[in-house]
Amino acid sequence: MANRVAIVGVGRSTQAARRPEVNDAEMINEAVRAALADAQIDINKVQAVLTNSIDGFDNFYLGDCLLVDGSGAYMKSGMKFHTGGTVGSTGSIAAFNMVASGMFDIVLTIGHQKQERGNSMGTLCAAAPGELREFVQGAIGAFAQAAVQYMKNTNAKLEHAAMVRLKADKNACRNPYAHLRLGLKSIEDVAKSPTLIWPLRLLDFCPQSCGAAALIVASEKVAKKISKKPVWVADHETVHELQSEVVFGGDEEKSQQVAARRLYKRNGITNPAKDIDCFEVYEPSSWEEMYLYEHFFITEHNTGWKLVEKGVTELDGAIPVNPSGGVLATNAIGATAMLRIGEAALQIRGDAGEHQVTKDVKTTLSSGLGGTNWTTLVLLKRSL
Amino acid sequence: MAEEKKEEFIGVEFLSKIPYSWSMGPYSGSLFTEMKENKKIWGIRCPKCKKLLFPPEAMCGYCFTEVKDNWEEIGDEGTVVQFTKAGMPIFDIRKGTFAFSERPLANIQFDKGPYIMHWLEEKDLEKLHLGMRVKAVWREQGRGRGYEDIMYFRAIEEKK
Amino acid sequence: MTTTPAKPTTPVIFAGHMVYNHRFESGRTGSRFLRELRDNKKIMGLKCPDCNKVYVPPRSTCKECFGKLDKWVEVGTEGKLLTYTVLRVARDAEKDVLKKQLPVAYGIIKLDGADTGFVHMLGEVDLDKIKIGMRVKAVFREDERKGNILDINYFKPVSNARKR
Repeated sequence: MANRVAIVGVGRSTQAARRPEVNDAEMINEAVRAALADAQIDINKVQAVLTNSIDGFDNFYLGDCLLVDGSGAYMKSGMKFHTGGTVGSTGSIAAFNMVASGMFDIVLTIGHQKQERGNSMGTLCAAAPGELREFVQGAIGAFAQAAVQYMKNTNAKLEHAAMVRLKADKNACRNPYAHLRLGLKSIEDVAKSPTLIWPLRLLDFCPQSCGAAALIVASEKVAKKISKKPVWVADHETVHELQSEVVFGGDEEKSQQVAARRLYKRNGITNPAKDIDCFEVYEPSSWEEMYLYEHFFITEHNTGWKLVEKGVTELDGAIPVNPSGGVLATNAIGATAMLRIGEAALQIRGDAGEHQVTKDVKTTLSSGLGGTNWTTLVLLKRSL
Repeated sequence: MAEEKKEEFIGVEFLSKIPYSWSMGPYSGSLFTEMKENKKIWGIRCPKCKKLLFPPEAMCGYCFTEVKDNWEEIGDEGTVVQFTKAGMPIFDIRKGTFAFSERPLANIQFDKGPYIMHWLEEKDLEKLHLGMRVKAVWREQGRGRGYEDIMYFRAIEEKK
Repeated sequence: MTTTPAKPTTPVIFAGHMVYNHRFESGRTGSRFLRELRDNKKIMGLKCPDCNKVYVPPRSTCKECFGKLDKWVEVGTEGKLLTYTVLRVARDAEKDVLKKQLPVAYGIIKLDGADTGFVHMLGEVDLDKIKIGMRVKAVFREDERKGNILDINYFKPVSNARKR
């Protein structure tokens, strides 16, 4: 990267299935104020504001224009990003690039979605061209099918998916900014939930939430001046797939492996399980988390379920994954990929509160997932 | 202590019908014309990287080469690579309502390689397995609906 | 055996409708504003004490200083017409929302006590006699108010002449 870039502020709004007491500008304002307070700067110091969400998912358009009241973008530079599920990370990556270019010193980036009103499933179906929309069944169809294939290829069972969900809930209960904090006690509690789309039970899939997240990104000279604990952005990567092949998981090489391989090579990471201390991955379904372990080379192909069985990825495990509760607990889609980065940054700082992992965290990997399975990765470090 | 009245939040809820009009282009246009008139499925082979593209497009997405007229018939038989069945109702964007899916959904790989996502005729999940061979069952009347010109895929005898 | 498929005689176009559901929440601040219109026929705004600005309709954040606003003030139902236009052509969907016969005038009104413009329709007025700067007054619906901006039916001109 041309200039060094750090995250100096992380802000989160609370998340819920419905948030009728705030409109969109007020909801993002919560995250913006939290980020400003965390960075200990005034809105006047922010030079550019990026807003990130997926218009069709909550039928809210032109966020860069219509959220100025709450985003602090009045008379400032900035733009809006609209990709798929990756948008929170895409908007963060854009902020990193803007600061790395040397053209901006402090950029605020906001991810948001207010899913009480829209229909993300319907929109995903609508996005499919050529009358494919009847078949797409939103995102869940693709994840369910991947799960079926995973069960066939490995010894993973429904119980393993339930274990992933249980871990996510236990972690979410320690995170006041998570949406679903159910207090699940055992995998039987997960098994009781109805079948959403076989083999996914309702609890095997993420909720639809209303919420926002914000990051304040600064150049090295500003970060060192204003922050005691800047979190350095070591690298990032984005890889797309063809829109005509909506096959998640499986045995073929996917965007996840390609992105991970490139990122690891550039950063001298040869053993991710040891070189990276904590992961925040984008897992809309509990099954997805299991094969994401494989796709990011934490474990061999078709063995992700074993890590779950042994508890390796728990909060106090050797390779903690999603200590925040992950996407399974909280999914206001525009904010979600940004929260993977923000939560990872908090882990590096030791500021994650009750869901801080036990081991010391110096390096984290955050992933984003969108649409037809494209991937973003962000590598954060305590020191470069 | 006086009972607090529950705070009233005012919102509006409504459905909107948004018209769409997708131009399929000449390549997908040929695909859908052949499906409608001859119950045939065509793909196009990239002259450079040799991948068989379905649906056919003017450019190869893999290597960014113009495909010209390297058409190839794909046939209508394949193997079930993934499948699922919705247990809860799914939103139907054409109607704006939730409805139960009648049949299982599957990712089917044609024998020549490309994938298609479509329904399976067999509704009983117990009778399905990954790797089973299926063949398209075409709509006899009223074709011209794109992929829905195939009603579903039916299980056929395994190849010996 | 053909080696190329048939070419379509006319371009293949798939057309139809997609149905989306929308739900917009006014939030706590917006809901208070709308409830006051509905229940009390009052127009309320939020004041920023630092910038000495009153926002109508109310906003939770001050645009100038980014302060959090919670000081409610009542502004008058009368004000000055800053600018206007006359709507003569509209689609059926738009007419449904406005619930008015065309042509209809609407404009931006600076209510007494407010520092922002308020958009609404003009009524009981001769379209040729509308003047920028004229004083107008809100006319609320008496039959059924629902808690939305159309609880004000329109703004009508008031004369400056003293009542005898």
